[in-house]
Amino acid sequence: MVSIHLDDLGKRYGDTTALESVDLDIADGEFFTLVGPSGCGKTTTLRTVAGFEAPTEGTVRFGDRDVAGVPPEDRDVGVVFQSYALFPHMTVAENVGYGLRFADPPDGMSAEERVAQLLELVDLAEFGERDPESLSGGQQQRVALARALAPGPEVLLLDEPMSALDARLRERLRRQVRAIQSELEITTIYVTHDQEEALAVSDRLAVMHDGRVEQVGTPQAVYRHPATRFVAGFVGENNLFDAEVLGPTDDANRRVAVDGAEWVVPSPDEDGLGGASLRDQVTVCVRPEALSTDGGANELTVDVSEWSFLGESVRVHADWGGREVVVRLPDVPERDRLALGFDPEDAHVLDDQN
Amino acid sequence: MTERGSAAGGGDRSDEAEDTGGDRRVSAVLAPLWTALDRWGLAATAGLTALIVGVVFYFPVVLVLRRAVVAGGRVTVAPVAAVLTDPFYVGVLADVLGNPLAVGRHLGAVVGFLTEFRLRLGTYHGLPWLYLVVPGVRTGLFGFTAYQALLSTVLSVAVGLPGAYVLSNYEFRGRRFLRSVTILPFVLPAVMVAIGFYAMFGAQGTLNDALGLLGLGDVNLLFTLKIVVIAHAFYNAPLIVRVTTAAWETVDRRTVETARSLGAGPRRAFLDVVVPQLLPAILTGALLTFIFTFLTFPIVLMLGGARLATVEVWVYRRIRELAYQEAAALAVVETVLSLGLTLLYLRYERRAASLGTGSVEDRDPLVPSLRSLVTPQRLAIVGYGALVVVLFVGPLASMILASVTNEGTLTLRWYRVLLERQVEGASFQTKPLPAVRNSLLFAGATLVVAVPMGVVVAVTTRRWRGGHLLETLAMAPLSVSGIIVGIGLLEGLVFGVDLPGPYRLVLTGPVAIAAAHAVAAYPFVVRSVGPLLSRIDRATVESARALGASRARTLLDVELPLVASGVVAGAAFAVAISIGEFDSTVILAEGGTTYTMPVAVERYLASRTLGPASAMGTIMLAVTAAAFVVVDRVGGRFER
Repeated sequence: MVSIHLDDLGKRYGDTTALESVDLDIADGEFFTLVGPSGCGKTTTLRTVAGFEAPTEGTVRFGDRDVAGVPPEDRDVGVVFQSYALFPHMTVAENVGYGLRFADPPDGMSAEERVAQLLELVDLAEFGERDPESLSGGQQQRVALARALAPGPEVLLLDEPMSALDARLRERLRRQVRAIQSELEITTIYVTHDQEEALAVSDRLAVMHDGRVEQVGTPQAVYRHPATRFVAGFVGENNLFDAEVLGPTDDANRRVAVDGAEWVVPSPDEDGLGGASLRDQVTVCVRPEALSTDGGANELTVDVSEWSFLGESVRVHADWGGREVVVRLPDVPERDRLALGFDPEDAHVLDDQN
Repeated sequence: MTERGSAAGGGDRSDEAEDTGGDRRVSAVLAPLWTALDRWGLAATAGLTALIVGVVFYFPVVLVLRRAVVAGGRVTVAPVAAVLTDPFYVGVLADVLGNPLAVGRHLGAVVGFLTEFRLRLGTYHGLPWLYLVVPGVRTGLFGFTAYQALLSTVLSVAVGLPGAYVLSNYEFRGRRFLRSVTILPFVLPAVMVAIGFYAMFGAQGTLNDALGLLGLGDVNLLFTLKIVVIAHAFYNAPLIVRVTTAAWETVDRRTVETARSLGAGPRRAFLDVVVPQLLPAILTGALLTFIFTFLTFPIVLMLGGARLATVEVWVYRRIRELAYQEAAALAVVETVLSLGLTLLYLRYERRAASLGTGSVEDRDPLVPSLRSLVTPQRLAIVGYGALVVVLFVGPLASMILASVTNEGTLTLRWYRVLLERQVEGASFQTKPLPAVRNSLLFAGATLVVAVPMGVVVAVTTRRWRGGHLLETLAMAPLSVSGIIVGIGLLEGLVFGVDLPGPYRLVLTGPVAIAAAHAVAAYPFVVRSVGPLLSRIDRATVESARALGASRARTLLDVELPLVASGVVAGAAFAVAISIGEFDSTVILAEGGTTYTMPVAVERYLASRTLGPASAMGTIMLAVTAAAFVVVDRVGGRFER
């Protein structure tokens, strides 16, 4: 197995920039996800790692080996695409065995044994002689996964592998992929536009936007401490408020003004000024589930505009002085006005206005 | 990583006894060779293709065209200028091109022309009738060539569109068969078509016999513009049918249904939704038809008689009169025009290819019941069917008929004539059997050379950036006169060219002919393989690469099997083009024993009767059909 390092990666097509100074270090055996909206550069990054695209700047290293100029067939990667990309003129077993024409199966197995093992792994042992077209979407994607894994690659690259499947199937297959990955301990890069999927499945993830990496971290860190406004808005639902800093209250907190209301929110301590930040404009992020009707240090009263029942909870879209606010509450009776509150530690503050 | 990397790079797996992968059986001696082929095979084939196209096409063409711009070692525009300012060639444009700055005079001429229009009252079958009197314009040779190409294009589209409508909207027995034989007229040798047209539309032709039975008068169309235009439609209407049907079948029915649900009536939905999706295909076909008929040669030469001549015919005549410089100058102008049109065509074709999203197949039965045949629509289709029979089946059937009849009685006399010629003919005479043998040999050679060339060009131009330019360069053989290529080959390669050092490049007759055929044929391989290749999901190719297959290996394992039908179609094209090729062959075969079937047909045509020529034509038809079947059968094994 191998670690993957992207150093200052850039990719330009004529005048358009697809990637700009992307730096990523993916550990050996890690399940690493690239997440972002379409056109953010996540797929380009994956294709650069696979060797389908050559970067215009920067390097890709597998371990300490620079793979510039190494064609995809010599990179020892397994790739699974959204479209499955099974070879329609080969049977399922022939598809899975294709990579074994160029590499010996691991552990001294014969090619037939390896194919059988992989089909077993993805629960398709009985399907070897079938044509790919006769399988369902989920089955085809499992064949694609088995095919990618058969030669025993060091890196597994998954490009939106679940996007063509329905929600329930996607969940199940996702867990299966994750289980196989953990068992094989294969370094994996997973590309998805679905932030929920990224949070659920990854060891760590990188949020990308406009060809740049906005933030890298564990799902918990990225969810709880988004580094930029984009991440705060993209990963999970969030309420973002522009706020003016009035002054520190104590070492950990400061007072801010949002549209006339005064709140106490945490001070980011990375500036080392203990709340006496040099900036006077900040963004306060409050998750919908952090707002409660049980009161809190900070208060806002909102007019309900939409009340959606979700089963164990309700999601409320509401208006607060012309701003839209999203709230997630336990299943309570519907009403027109809500007095909401949250405590300082439930808010997250972004210093940078980007 | 190291394990697989070294195995893939070193090719040292051959000594392992395992028998799963095909390449492992290669002996240790061949392993390095295989590795080299694997790595460089594609590039080498591409290089070889470029070399062949360069030597057998660009070099000879430049050699001939150079005469037009180089005289006495100096560059000159005089010969081309002479053509462009000669009213015989360019008509009224001669003065404009000769004195481009005399704008006032030219405008005056235009105004003068416009004021010449008159309306005249006359009678037509006893009824008062208004006539528009159009002033005469001298169009010159280029004008006439473009005019006949335009007429041919209009007729081809008019004949082709109803066919496309029927084929893509109605289900009936033999629909698929009809759809696939629409390719046939396009690849039939012009000489054979000419014989068929003589036999069908000539003074004693089948048409007049049929009209005579109905008590109708004689029509003689031979040696008129009409017959030339009809023959061009014979060739190109099927082309229009093909491209239009292909586009029509990819029109998503749901787009029509959406339009209907939004309130458009059937007619309106057709105009607003279907027509815009068909138009690019129709225009593509029309442009291609125009290019082909602009460059027409054998049809006009044989059916047009002495009075009608296109640029290409004139080039041929000038060359026979040894007026090389003038011929070259004519050819330069002709080539520039047709290359421009080809460029336009390629741009358009790309746009046309990007349309269409696949469709839901639902066709009406053509004949749901006998009673339904009486509806105007069905009657029109039946009428169209009759036209198709007269225009497409008629000439070929008439040719076969002419080969077994003599003055109204059945006879095998013409085949006996051929047999006697074969047995007793002098060595300088054209014998049937060598013609058949030569044709088959050249066809085989063309198949072997043109198919890899075409596939490599298709792969290279589809997957790489800058492919557009490369594609245009590679498609040039479609749009340069066969006469020019033939003359260039004769002068350059058959007579020999001095190379640097003590070497001399000489391509003898048969090799030159085979090479010329390959160059003429491979663009058709590109055209049949290319669109299928671009339909393959990029991810499929990339999956193979990621699994360890080299570029060349991916082509063999994944892409070629997926485009097998296109490769087979391209191979059939290559064989047909080779068997039918006339322009270059007639020049290169002059005086030698390398004549082919079309050349033989043309030589037998020189005699008084149609008999021997149509007998030879019938043999050629049989051989062509047999070759088609063989290619299809053998090729079909590789299809799934």
